[in-house]
Parts: sequence; structure tokens; C-alpha cells
Amino acid sequence: MSDTWTGRLSEYLDEELSVPEQRALEEHLDECVACRKALEELRLVADRAAALQDSPPAEDLWTGIAHRMNTAQPEHRRGARRRVSFSLPQLAAAGLALMLIGAGGAWVALSPGTQGTAVVAERSALPGEGSAAVAVARLDYDDAVAQLQGIIEERRAELDSVTVRVIEENLAAIDRAIDEARDALAADPANGYLSQHLAATMRRKVDLLRRAATTASATS
Amino acid sequence: METAALRGGTLASERIGVRTPPDAADVQLAAAGDQAAFERLYHAHVARVHSLARRMIGGDDADEATQDVFVRAWEKLGTFRGEAAFGTWLHRLAINVILGRRQSRARRWERTVEGDSLVEALPSRRNHLELHMDFETAIGRLPNGAREVFVLHDVEGFKHKEIADMLGVTTGTTKAQLHRARMALRRHVDR
Repeated sequence: MSDTWTGRLSEYLDEELSVPEQRALEEHLDECVACRKALEELRLVADRAAALQDSPPAEDLWTGIAHRMNTAQPEHRRGARRRVSFSLPQLAAAGLALMLIGAGGAWVALSPGTQGTAVVAERSALPGEGSAAVAVARLDYDDAVAQLQGIIEERRAELDSVTVRVIEENLAAIDRAIDEARDALAADPANGYLSQHLAATMRRKVDLLRRAATTASATS
Repeated sequence: METAALRGGTLASERIGVRTPPDAADVQLAAAGDQAAFERLYHAHVARVHSLARRMIGGDDADEATQDVFVRAWEKLGTFRGEAAFGTWLHRLAINVILGRRQSRARRWERTVEGDSLVEALPSRRNHLELHMDFETAIGRLPNGAREVFVLHDVEGFKHKEIADMLGVTTGTTKAQLHRARMALRRHVDR
């Protein structure tokens, strides 16, 4: 088999040789059994490739795609996105939570396992107006946190990764501080400093969430 | 199941004058944010996209690449003007995404396609196992550059100039890679 022509067989097969080259190669093929055989094999490879069948993936990929679509924003709609901002109730909830947490939020931590609406029943057993205020504060706090986190999550894809990482790291640090303060208060319920510290930490969380949500809205 | 023949720059059905499946309504709905419509488009085209990805970059990465393609299509759907069939637009997008993944992984195909490396990459002696090796498996064992050119030319139907533009190489290089790939695959074709 001629080295000169073997390397040109695919070009011949694809009709990409010049006319003189084509004629010269055909003259060679008349005399070279090996090149004729090679040419036929190359033709079989090309035909086999063209006849390949498409097949779907072994597993349906749609679920993963749909999940990613929910965090992706079509480019053509980015310019026309609805500007997300706090609703008045959301702002009111966040503000009220900040105020009430400041006034009596320490009570929130005084009962172990206080979460969400369960706090109301527990607080109802507490004497005086303070307990009612604390119950409202706790509900408003949870509600504000949930709403703010919802806004941030909704706009997460539009925040740059560094901002998201900073927010997550700060939230994690604040949550750890809240947990530690609650544990400390559970062991020493009468400690006024710990009460104030817990209330301040919770305020920090709402404040951070509020600023993060504001950032997310501003980038939309 | 769609045959791979006559693909490339245009769909086979377009080349022979047959109307493509009615994607237009779903494209319009999907562009307006209708995920159910986009899911129908996904099911209509996933086999082709996944097969392209599997042949271009291998089975291990094909699922992820396919997901990337459809997410990208969702993001870019507003740029689809309808001059070509949706399948053609999606196919070109898929190639761009797949080639982008290759580049991002620094799969420099030039490093593996010089000299006899292609021949060495496949068994040199024909035996029973080789003869019965699945043709697609054999394609997957080609070095990256030769595999890409072979898939784009012989499977997908692109011209050397188009492939050279996609890969950023000369047509001389793509022709050489195609020939090497075909020569290496000869022993894996049933006769």
C-alpha cells in the first residue's frame, strides 16, 4: 500500500481532491489491492457512522434540568424582570420583630424548644403583658425571618456567588451565636445579660436578612 | 429514534424537504416561561442531544452535559428567532456547550493526536473481542480531537470548514484527524 496515497484516501472518499489528484489516485487504485481494500473499509466506517441511531439517556434527566431551570433566568426576560421589593407587611413584620425583640425578645429563649406557634401556648401561661408581647415578638420574628429568607432564596440566582457566600457565612455564625445564647439561658434563666445578648443576636439576624433581601431586590 | 444520517448543519428532514415536528408552538410557549412546553421540547430532542454528548465527550459526562445544554437552551430561548428549525438551533447550541466543557477542562486535543498516538490508543491486533466491540465504544476510545472531528463530520454531517471554525484549527488538521479516526475504526466495522 502506497504511503503517498493511503493518507489521501479519506479525501478521495469525500470528493475533496482536485481533479488531477483524483485521477492520479484512481490510477493507483487500479494497481494497488491494499489501497482498494483500505478505501472500501473507510467507506464502511463512514457509512456506519452515518447510520448510527440516537438513543435517550439511561435515566430521565428532566428532574435535574427542571430544578436548575427554577434557579436560572431566561436571558430575554432578565431585562423585563419584575423588580422585587419588600411589601409593606414584610417591612412591618421585620420592623416590628426588631422592636419587640429589643423590648422583650429574651423571653423567647427562656422556654426550651420554643418554635413558631408553639410559643403562643407557652407564653399564655406567663403573667403580665410582657409575655403576650414576647409571644407576638416571637411569631413576628419567625415570620420575618421566613419571609426574608424566602425573598433571598427567590433571588439567590441573581446574587453573585461571593455575596451569597458572605451572607451564608454570617447567617451561620449568627445562628450559632443564637444557639449558644439559648443554651446558656436555659442553664441560667435569670441572667439578664444573656437575655439581652440573645435579643441583640436575633436582631442581628433579622437585620442581616433584611439587608441581604434588599441587596437581592436591588440586583433584580 | 432518529437516524444519525444526514444531520449536521441542517436536520435531515429539512434537507429532504419534509416538515419538522411542530415544535413552534411549544417554543413560543416555552419562551414565555411555560416549563411544561419546554419539557415537551426536552423529550422530543433529548435523544439527539445526549447521543451527541455521549459521542463527543463520553458516557461519564454526557448526562451532565445534556443537562447543561437544556438549561442553557432555556436561558437562551429568547434569542431563537425561528430562522432555522428549533432542533437545528438546539443542536448548534449543544455543540457549543459541549465544546465549551471540553475547553474548560483543558482537554487540549492537540496533545494526543500527533504521530501514531491514535493507532496506539486502539488495539493493534485484530482479535475476536475487537471485531465485536461496539462501534460506539470504539469511537469513545479515539483520542479527543480525532473523536470530535469524526463525530462532527461522519456522524453529524458537518463540513471540514465548519468543524475547523468550531475547533479553531485548520481544515488540513481536521482532514488529517478524520482520516486517522477512520483508519483506526476500520477493524470495528462489521463486514
